[in-house]
Amino acid sequence: MTTVIMRTTARAIVPIILVVAISLFFDGHNLPGGGFIGGVLTTTAFAIVYMGFGLDFLERGILGRDVDPGKEPSRDRVVLAYRRLFAYGFALAVASGLAPLLFGKPFLTQTFAMLEGVPIYDHLEVASALAFDFGVYCVVVGGLLTILSVVGAE
Amino acid sequence: MSPDLAMVIAAVALPFVVAALTPVVFRVLGEGTGFAGTVVALTSFGLLATQYGSEGTVGLEWVPSLDLALRFYVDGWALLFAMLACGIGALIFAYSPAYMHGESSLVRYYAALLAFMGSIVGVALAADLIAMFLFWELTSLASFVLIGYYTADDSSQYAARMAMLITVGGGLFLLVGLLLLSLVASDVLGSGAAFNLAAMLENPETMQAALRERGLFLPVLGLLAIGAGTKSAQVPLHFWLPNAMAAPTPVSAFLHSATMVKVGVYFIGRVRPMLVSTEWLFLFATLGLTTMTVCAILAVASTDIKELLAYSTASHLGLMVAGFGFTSVYGAETGVFHLLNHALFKAALFLVAGIIAHEAGTREIDELSGLRHDLPVTAVITTVVALSMAGIPPFNGFYSKELLFEAAVEASHHHDIGLLGWLYPAVAVFGSIFTVLYSLRFLSLFFGERPEALGHVHRPPVTMLVPPAVLALLAAVVSVDPQLAVDAIVQSGLEATAVEPHAMHVGLPTSYSPALGMSAVTIGVGLVAYPSYGRLHDAIRSIPRAVPPIGASWWYDTAVDGLSDEGRAFAETVHDGTLRTYATWTLTATCTLALAGFVAAGAIVPTELGVEVSLAIALVLLVAVIGGVAVATAGSHIAGVLTLSILGFMVAIFYILASAPDLALTQLVVETLVLVIFLLVIEEIPERYEVEIGAVARDAVLSVLVGATAFVTVLVTTGTRPDGPSEIARAYAEQAIPRGGGANIVNVTLVDFRGFDTLGELAVITLAAISILTLIVMRDRDGDRTAIRDGDELTGDDSAGPPSDGGADE
Repeated sequence: MTTVIMRTTARAIVPIILVVAISLFFDGHNLPGGGFIGGVLTTTAFAIVYMGFGLDFLERGILGRDVDPGKEPSRDRVVLAYRRLFAYGFALAVASGLAPLLFGKPFLTQTFAMLEGVPIYDHLEVASALAFDFGVYCVVVGGLLTILSVVGAE
Repeated sequence: MSPDLAMVIAAVALPFVVAALTPVVFRVLGEGTGFAGTVVALTSFGLLATQYGSEGTVGLEWVPSLDLALRFYVDGWALLFAMLACGIGALIFAYSPAYMHGESSLVRYYAALLAFMGSIVGVALAADLIAMFLFWELTSLASFVLIGYYTADDSSQYAARMAMLITVGGGLFLLVGLLLLSLVASDVLGSGAAFNLAAMLENPETMQAALRERGLFLPVLGLLAIGAGTKSAQVPLHFWLPNAMAAPTPVSAFLHSATMVKVGVYFIGRVRPMLVSTEWLFLFATLGLTTMTVCAILAVASTDIKELLAYSTASHLGLMVAGFGFTSVYGAETGVFHLLNHALFKAALFLVAGIIAHEAGTREIDELSGLRHDLPVTAVITTVVALSMAGIPPFNGFYSKELLFEAAVEASHHHDIGLLGWLYPAVAVFGSIFTVLYSLRFLSLFFGERPEALGHVHRPPVTMLVPPAVLALLAAVVSVDPQLAVDAIVQSGLEATAVEPHAMHVGLPTSYSPALGMSAVTIGVGLVAYPSYGRLHDAIRSIPRAVPPIGASWWYDTAVDGLSDEGRAFAETVHDGTLRTYATWTLTATCTLALAGFVAAGAIVPTELGVEVSLAIALVLLVAVIGGVAVATAGSHIAGVLTLSILGFMVAIFYILASAPDLALTQLVVETLVLVIFLLVIEEIPERYEVEIGAVARDAVLSVLVGATAFVTVLVTTGTRPDGPSEIARAYAEQAIPRGGGANIVNVTLVDFRGFDTLGELAVITLAAISILTLIVMRDRDGDRTAIRDGDELTGDDSAGPPSDGGADE
């Protein structure tokens, strides 16, 4: 799979996929999209990187670190980061659910605010659900990538 | 005086809080954590002591919509048991650091011990069936952790599993009994009292009449008896208790003599006013006296000092159960007073056994003798408590045993029980003779010649000597002035457990009574028979060797081994390591269960389909069907995967045509990811399988089954849908912008209206990722031993994992 065609295509499409994923995530509240869809699409981008450049590329090529080739995949630094990502994502989702309790509201109550006169956007909606949705995003990306990289290394 | 909620809750919660903080405490105090435990136990004891003399129910709302509350009921009986647990707990914590010196995983040990103490206090004070059951099971869990303390030791693991199986299994019976009780209570006393034990106990006659009316009296009695009997090691489920002696000795002293095993007895005393009757007498008097006698005989057959004490504990638990079984007021007196006496002398004896094991290095009865030369203080302690255990006057065990004899004699006066009226006292005396025998045998460890083989015996450290000394001192005080203990606490415990309590008087007998005669016979025969102890011991030991099924643990082993073998054989059939087999079993089971569910619910009714399909949709679905056929006939994996994705993308287009853009997007991205992952793993899969014709037929049948199930499910779920949008759908549509602030109803529903569901799904993804990680890490840890087979299994399993996880989520 690590052919030149694959690599060249990946170079072009991965950034586009990532941007689309992020915009889907942010648009989710008013247009089709959201944390889950954004998360799966982000994972797809990473999967394409893995296909084109191999599992160690992220660490060696982008972060510029050395990698022992025969290392246990579950101990890999990138995998550790994924694990942290889904753990923190889950914690964020739970915390955003618990936060309303401080204001005497039931668990997982969401609210939103309209900000007027913001530069460029003019008016911007800030929904507390965005935090929860970001938790969803992190869990999906972290969880799927953990599985993908650990199993992919087999 | 009504109890103070804050004090009661603090007493229950404190041990749990400190248990959670144990790792931090241990970092600061190290092995001295035990003394912190003592402080906690004494604090709880003090908090409970402030409630001394109060009576009543206090509670917190828990789930008001289900009438569940965290209620605590305080009375003499509850306080006696809870304070006993805290008091002995304090001594055990003080004893532990020296005994457990140099052991590893002390954090686990102390945390479990603290949590256990909190659970016992919880059981004692719970006035709510649910809370009671929770605390009840927590004691079993803590006991499991503590019995299995030596994780490297197989026998300790075996014993922990056995205790867990028996007590938790019994707990399930208890649960059913409690639920039946709550059903009846909600009928009779109103739905607010469904789980309120205190309310039930306030109306004992109404409850018993209502139970009888519905024919539930005997089932409830039986279920509660099984629950209590397993916990309190009653014959024939007594065998876990001697095995539980694999735990460190302080644990044995605390859990398996003084507190946990008494939970069953405590519960019997608790529900006694509600259920007491002739059936009650038959059940518990018979059960108790049988246990008392059988276990006393087994104690005589023991070769290990802890084993002897364990059987003796079961025997004394039988005595308490029998006491509560007798319906006269003497019966309740026996149960309550012996609960206190037994805790005092038996915990002390276990601590003495711990000293002997620790200092002499052996627990074999035959190897120990003449220890008074090396352990003079311990010898004095043992003399007091062993004679108390034997029931020799004027030691405290004598008084409660005397009460049992009186209750046994009284039984025939209250009930027309024919021959049993003679049999009960006779069995009580017979069992007690063995009690005298083994008590004397234990005492004899300290007297006689000191054998040469016994090496140097150290003096125990002070912290190990003080706890049993305190207990022996208390036992001595109760011996000298039993009325003091009665006035202090036993009387108020009696009032909670007896039907018609009266002022209780205990003291040395001044005139002849049948009970006194029975005591005289017991002690006399015991002393006469003692010289032939060795022959008795050998004779009893030879019986189970000749006839194995007579031992209860033979039944346990046979049942457990049989079940494990069957389970292993079944697992090998279902999980044979190839993905096909897994899929076959899972899919067949799921489809069969789903279809059976529809049939059972009568959901499958002929309906008119009446579907109008637009040309565009029909075209898309046609392409999807063609894609499906192409997958099945594809010549290579790559072709198969690509045609499969045609099917997937057609479904996405179908969603778009059906105006569901969010679903379509999800379907598209998941489909893309699945395709990418398939392409990633496809190189690893062998080019072609050779598949037998039988397997092809099987797969075909399975596919038809899965398809049929999906088809029927869609019909059933959409067939019952009302015309037009339902109320919920309308409400979501109307509220999405004003309440959720989003124009995308699907997303607002996911993150706001039904956020809790999404949170659950996040937990599923997290769990899936963690379990896959764990599987792979554990496989690596096992080394190459099973790598090849498991490796194939895991790769096959996991490559199918992520897409199905993701897909199942939306």
